[in-house]
Amino acid sequence: MPKITINGKEVEVKEGTSIIEAMQQSGDRIAHYCWHPGLSVAGVCRLCMVEIEGNPRVQIACNTMATEGMKINNTSEKVRDAVKWGLDFHLINHPLDCPICDQAGECGLQDQYMEYGKYDPEMAEPKQKKHKVVDLGPTVVLDSERCILCSRCVRFTEEVSKTNELGLFNRGDRTEIGTHDGMPLNNKYSLNTVDICPVGALTSKDFRFRQRVWYLKDSETVCNGCSTGCNVKVYYNREGFFRVKPVYNEKVNGHWMCDEGREIYKFVNKDHRLLKAQVRNNTGWTEMHAGAAAKAASEVVKSTAADSLALVLTAQYTVEEFDAIVGTFVNEFKSKKVYFWINNKESFDEFDGLLLRGDKNPNTKGLLKVLEKHGISATWNELSQGLAAGSIKTVVVAGPENQAVFPDFADRVKELSKAQNLIWLQAGKNEALSALTGNVSLIPMKTFVEKDGTFINHAGLEQKFKKATVVVSEALTLTEAALLLAGKNLAINASPANEFMPMNQRIDQVEVEARKKNEFVFKRGSL
Amino acid sequence: MSVMQNNSEKAKWYLPGVLGGLWITGKHLVGNLLNRKKMMTLNYPEEKYDYSPRFKGNHVLTVKKDGSLRCTACMLCATNCPAECIKIVAAEHNDPTVEKFPIAYEIDILRCVFCGYCEEACPVDAIRLGPEWQTPAVNGGNFIYDINHLAYRPNLKGGIQTHVDDEERHKQGI
Repeated sequence: MPKITINGKEVEVKEGTSIIEAMQQSGDRIAHYCWHPGLSVAGVCRLCMVEIEGNPRVQIACNTMATEGMKINNTSEKVRDAVKWGLDFHLINHPLDCPICDQAGECGLQDQYMEYGKYDPEMAEPKQKKHKVVDLGPTVVLDSERCILCSRCVRFTEEVSKTNELGLFNRGDRTEIGTHDGMPLNNKYSLNTVDICPVGALTSKDFRFRQRVWYLKDSETVCNGCSTGCNVKVYYNREGFFRVKPVYNEKVNGHWMCDEGREIYKFVNKDHRLLKAQVRNNTGWTEMHAGAAAKAASEVVKSTAADSLALVLTAQYTVEEFDAIVGTFVNEFKSKKVYFWINNKESFDEFDGLLLRGDKNPNTKGLLKVLEKHGISATWNELSQGLAAGSIKTVVVAGPENQAVFPDFADRVKELSKAQNLIWLQAGKNEALSALTGNVSLIPMKTFVEKDGTFINHAGLEQKFKKATVVVSEALTLTEAALLLAGKNLAINASPANEFMPMNQRIDQVEVEARKKNEFVFKRGSL
Repeated sequence: MSVMQNNSEKAKWYLPGVLGGLWITGKHLVGNLLNRKKMMTLNYPEEKYDYSPRFKGNHVLTVKKDGSLRCTACMLCATNCPAECIKIVAAEHNDPTVEKFPIAYEIDILRCVFCGYCEEACPVDAIRLGPEWQTPAVNGGNFIYDINHLAYRPNLKGGIQTHVDDEERHKQGI
């Protein structure tokens, strides 16, 4: 365990740690582009310069191992000067089109320039022109001029996705990132290259130009795309959700996430959502407030005998919600007819070796745990027989949020619609549901970004997550729906005035009392 | 409300003040009657005052030589706007040399404070505050100015070009 000194601070690091990793540990800032903790060391950007005591010249920190008693400094004038001129070389051919560049606001080059640069360029030569708007594949667009050739994306396709689509072609200042003819960047993890691009050279077709990043707020949550349960950040503002990016978690996803998971923001947005409860009886559909619809549904549920009442659950809700609704059914309605709707049983155990799993539900383990806890062992066949025989009259369904992974949705809706009363709890709109005839209540549900909860992933790891914001304010969580269905009342916490503000933010530090003291009080003088 | 009372001796001498005021009024009356061209007032709306060319009136989106918008949809004006009255929707252009352009550019003119920060923030001289200042409308009039109004309203006569030329700029390698 070598002990080293970084900027006067003593740090103890593991054997074989590079200086840049040690600096990350100690929390010192260091300029770098090409080094990424999840990739191999390339040492091409020459920006992570440090001064080591006893060495006459500055050295790169990413490829130098920390050894016992090393004294490292990256704040000296010598280092700053080295970084500054290194940056000058990076900016020789980099176009200054920050206004139209999608990375503006979260660009490494902008950050470094503000910290180390701020000089007058000394290059008289015109900039090297390269290819603009290169279509790399179905998800990514490349702007070669902006590329600073850090090779992070190339190393990603070599080492992580192991698909080798990208390469560096030509020499010198004509070097460009590119793909071979007929081999587009088309793998299931391609958008990670956009994440790790330190400049705006690689941009995601999906997010490109849709929002400037400084208009977005972010919030950490757990991806509900599959049972891996990657830790992600969702980016949103008052117009909706716009993108998803991975967050480092060593136990689950490392630095990466799949392209499929990046789609999960879509079904959360308002235009895909059920905004009002829809209740159908003999006369047709009527719109209702979600809570009122649930209250009305509770009448139906209560008037049904316990053995003709069934609950169908999809594994897309949180553990707490499952516990609440299964508990209500078992304890309040005395019904143990709780069925697990499995979407694609055949592919449940598939795994691509990196992150993607065949089980496209975030909380299968959680649901099974809750069912086991309440001693439920009902199978789907029993439900089918019950529906066919007409012995099951009322069915409550907690439908999936992510409908795309339920290819049999319409068939199941048809099957369940044999019940006399169908109470369907669902976040998103669906044609099969609105085409139903008979007694149906469609009650809007909150999605995973609008509630606190726990997902248990494939490995049994419990991951808690926090509410990000509210999209459909009157939608219910499954817990609230369970309470209302049982005929109980909801205690509603008054939400903050602006519901689009991030919920996990610290409340205003200045307390009202203190604020009053500071307020300017005008006292009228006597004349 | 407090009332100020001045009870000094001097305050009783009000007549000189009244007569002084009358004298000024009479002087202007006679002066205006004798040479009406120097009168300070205008018969608005028949007569209009010409403001300085630097006057900051209604916005104009400038155009390129081919008549397309100069705006690159960088949203710096919208970011800089203290009244948050600018709304831009960007999109990819078919022409690869353009890359990004606005498909919607709206200014809520009732919120605008005419501070000129948008003009200042614009890196390509695409938005300017023009000389127009009287744009009333009846109740229900459209006060959200869109691209069509901002760049191509009739009195701009096909759009205003800027002195910054793109091709020259590119030739110089900027």
